[in-house]
Amino acid sequence: MIELIDLSKNYGDTHAVRKLNLRVAAGEIYGFIGPNGAGKTTTIRMMGGIIEPTSGRILIGGSDMHADPVSAKKIIGFVPDRPFLYEKLTGMEFLKFISDIYQVQSSLFPSKAKKLLEQFGLWSWRNEIIAAYSHGMKQRLIIAAALLHDPKVLVIDEPMVGLDPSAVRLVKDILRDLARQDVAIFVSTHTLSIAEDLCHRIGVISKGDLLAQGTLAELNSAARTGDADLEEVFLTLVREA
Amino acid sequence: MKALAWIQLLRPRRHALKAALTRGAAKVRVSRLFLFGFVGGAFWLGAFALFFRVLTYFQSVEEFGDILALKLLSMIMITFFTLLIFSSIINSLSHLYLSRDLPLLHSLPIASGQIFYARFAGSCIDSSWMVVIFSLPVFLSFGLIYQAGTGFYLTALTAIILLCLIAQALSSIAVVLGAVLLPAGKIRSLFVILGVMLAIALIVALRLIRPEQLVNPEGFASAVIYLNSLQTLDAPWLPATWITDSLRYALTRSWGQVFFSLSLSLSFFSLLMFINDSLARAFYFKGFSRAQTTPGRLFAPLRFRGKGWETGLFFLSRPARALAAKEIRAFFRDSTQWPQLFLIGALIIIYLYNFSVLPLGSAPVRTVYLQNVFSFLNVGLAAFVLSAIAARFVFPAVSMEGEAFWILKAAPVSMRSFLWMKFFLYYLPLLLLTEALIIISNTLLDVTPFMMALSVITIFFLVPAIVALAVGLGAMYPDFTSENPAMSATSFGGLLFMLVCFALIALVIILQAGPVYRIFMADVHGLRLSFRLLIVSAVSFAAAVLLCLFAVFFPMRLAERKLNKG
Ligand SMILES: Nc1ncnc2c1ncn2[C@@H]1O[C@H](COP(=O)(O)OP(=O)(O)O)[C@@H](O)[C@H]1O
Ligand SMILES: [Mg+2]
Repeated sequence: MIELIDLSKNYGDTHAVRKLNLRVAAGEIYGFIGPNGAGKTTTIRMMGGIIEPTSGRILIGGSDMHADPVSAKKIIGFVPDRPFLYEKLTGMEFLKFISDIYQVQSSLFPSKAKKLLEQFGLWSWRNEIIAAYSHGMKQRLIIAAALLHDPKVLVIDEPMVGLDPSAVRLVKDILRDLARQDVAIFVSTHTLSIAEDLCHRIGVISKGDLLAQGTLAELNSAARTGDADLEEVFLTLVREA
Repeated sequence: MKALAWIQLLRPRRHALKAALTRGAAKVRVSRLFLFGFVGGAFWLGAFALFFRVLTYFQSVEEFGDILALKLLSMIMITFFTLLIFSSIINSLSHLYLSRDLPLLHSLPIASGQIFYARFAGSCIDSSWMVVIFSLPVFLSFGLIYQAGTGFYLTALTAIILLCLIAQALSSIAVVLGAVLLPAGKIRSLFVILGVMLAIALIVALRLIRPEQLVNPEGFASAVIYLNSLQTLDAPWLPATWITDSLRYALTRSWGQVFFSLSLSLSFFSLLMFINDSLARAFYFKGFSRAQTTPGRLFAPLRFRGKGWETGLFFLSRPARALAAKEIRAFFRDSTQWPQLFLIGALIIIYLYNFSVLPLGSAPVRTVYLQNVFSFLNVGLAAFVLSAIAARFVFPAVSMEGEAFWILKAAPVSMRSFLWMKFFLYYLPLLLLTEALIIISNTLLDVTPFMMALSVITIFFLVPAIVALAVGLGAMYPDFTSENPAMSATSFGGLLFMLVCFALIALVIILQAGPVYRIFMADVHGLRLSFRLLIVSAVSFAAAVLLCLFAVFFPMRLAERKLNKG
């Protein structure tokens, strides 16, 4: 469902991402881990069509993000790392806005919105303006909005930052559930425990280069760390890079 | 010097200013400086030339010359003072209570009194630098006409600074008190409304004084009535009057009086600062905490037969309707935005009022010709008003998306449709507004049907061009991180937009006025329109239309490319 081919991004002289190649199949949760400034957010912003790659291609469900961005974006649910929203709208108005922009079937909207808002504990806040939401509530609203149009591909940057423990559990459960319904999920994080118990495959990126990818066993063999846990593998890979 | 530690808190401002001046590549920097220098210099010289002319004229009016000059000075000072109060209220509110870095500042180990003084100074600088700069041509022309010496210029500088300080001190007292007394979520709205009312009052007052009568003393029945009417504005308790006094006595070199007026102002300022200090100690932090409450909605949502008002936008496509509804909601829920509509309303009413009092009847022979000239001027003026409104409301339209722009970039909406949706959102209301303006003013001018039709058609092509330029240039020079995107009208891109608009309006009018003048003259002389004249006119009009169409599509194209680049 997701395919990145030789994807690169430079900011002036900084190579934020270099020649990235990876695939995520339907129903798979792909974890993208790396230290701060590794290029995770840059990659994710390119996948969401927020910024243009310097070179390389992004295919989402077969559509090229550069050639046909609208078809590609139709099937993506995008969750950025920082929850900037339209502060003057209420939570419900924001979901309505998203459903109109993504052309969610109007008759289905009320029940879907209700279900998502209840799921994320925002139902009683639905008529408050977003400016009055806390950081975590905004984050939850964004995730709810990203699921509103039943995306086939979910791209999430640091989903657990700012969430309380029960919301973290909720998001994990939802992601697993979606994967079972054949959604391809690409999630970046620097919390290794989450990557370890959530993701089917993991890619390790540092300074713009993808160091290794695969299951934990495959990463272990790439790092020649035997049977170590993800933390050990990660530190070894990053140290040697 | 612990008491002056607040000066340290101004340092980030200096760095920000330096960063703003040195941002971007050297080439961009030079062109930015050049543009600002050019526009500022042009305004400055224009103001100087105007005042110098008016004062020279006053000197030629026997007996009244000095009184008229003095009257003008007092009117200018009152205007400055009102402007200063208006902008210091808005600036104090944002510097002292609302700006984004305040929570960080209050978390630092600094007494809130120090923060208060730093913010007080910052607000004072922001609200007065423009007034100070534009008071210089006024003082310079007075000094030159009255052959004043260094003493006058020193007095003038001291006086204008004192005026700024007094305005700031008064405003901050009002704001500090307001912040503890007004309902927590509504502080911002109420102050903005207050500020706007003040501005409208100023505009209306200035209009009612009828400044044009200053240059028309013959119109008065007798000198006595005239002098009396000139005296009505003097208010001994107004700080602006003390400042005016110090200036006029400096012109006549009565230094004792100058000293008195300046001392009076200074002691008043000291008194205000004492009050400010006590209030700040008692209430500043308390008010700041209250101001952190997120503003609630001032009005309940509008509903009609159980449906939201946005069903009224049924003619738009679904995403366009969603975007329009979002934009309209955000606009009316932002209390720093919608009160400005009243300001525009007041300006437009005065604009039309001016046409209704134009003395057109006095020159019967040339009236038709004059009316046509006025009609062209009117098109230019209306287009100019439109450009100013567009600079304020349309130019920031893309920047207004702010940090939330990712939502639309990630959405299945192309940047092209996004830009065109923004375009149509502003185009339709502005077209209606400008056409109404032009039709009403042309009716008041009683122009020929031909000129009426020509004006209406011209505006029909100019409005989309100006709106597209505003949307396009606004997208090419966006500021997504600004705390107040509305201010981007005064940025590099905003000035560029205004300049391009002037050029466009001037070109379109020149392309039309030439043929119209010749057709008109041929008509007056009873000649038949030559084939050549018809061809030239047709080409000229077509060129004007093409120019407008180019101004619609070219900037939108560039903007689309720029936004796609990310
Ligand atoms: N807008 C930008 N302009 C310049 N450099 C940037 C920008 N955004 C990110 N970078 C640089 O790109 C690199 C990767 O950043 P990012 O993708 O945000 O890292 P991560 O999300 O993995 O922490 C960093 O070196 C960062 O400094
Ligand atoms: Mg990141």
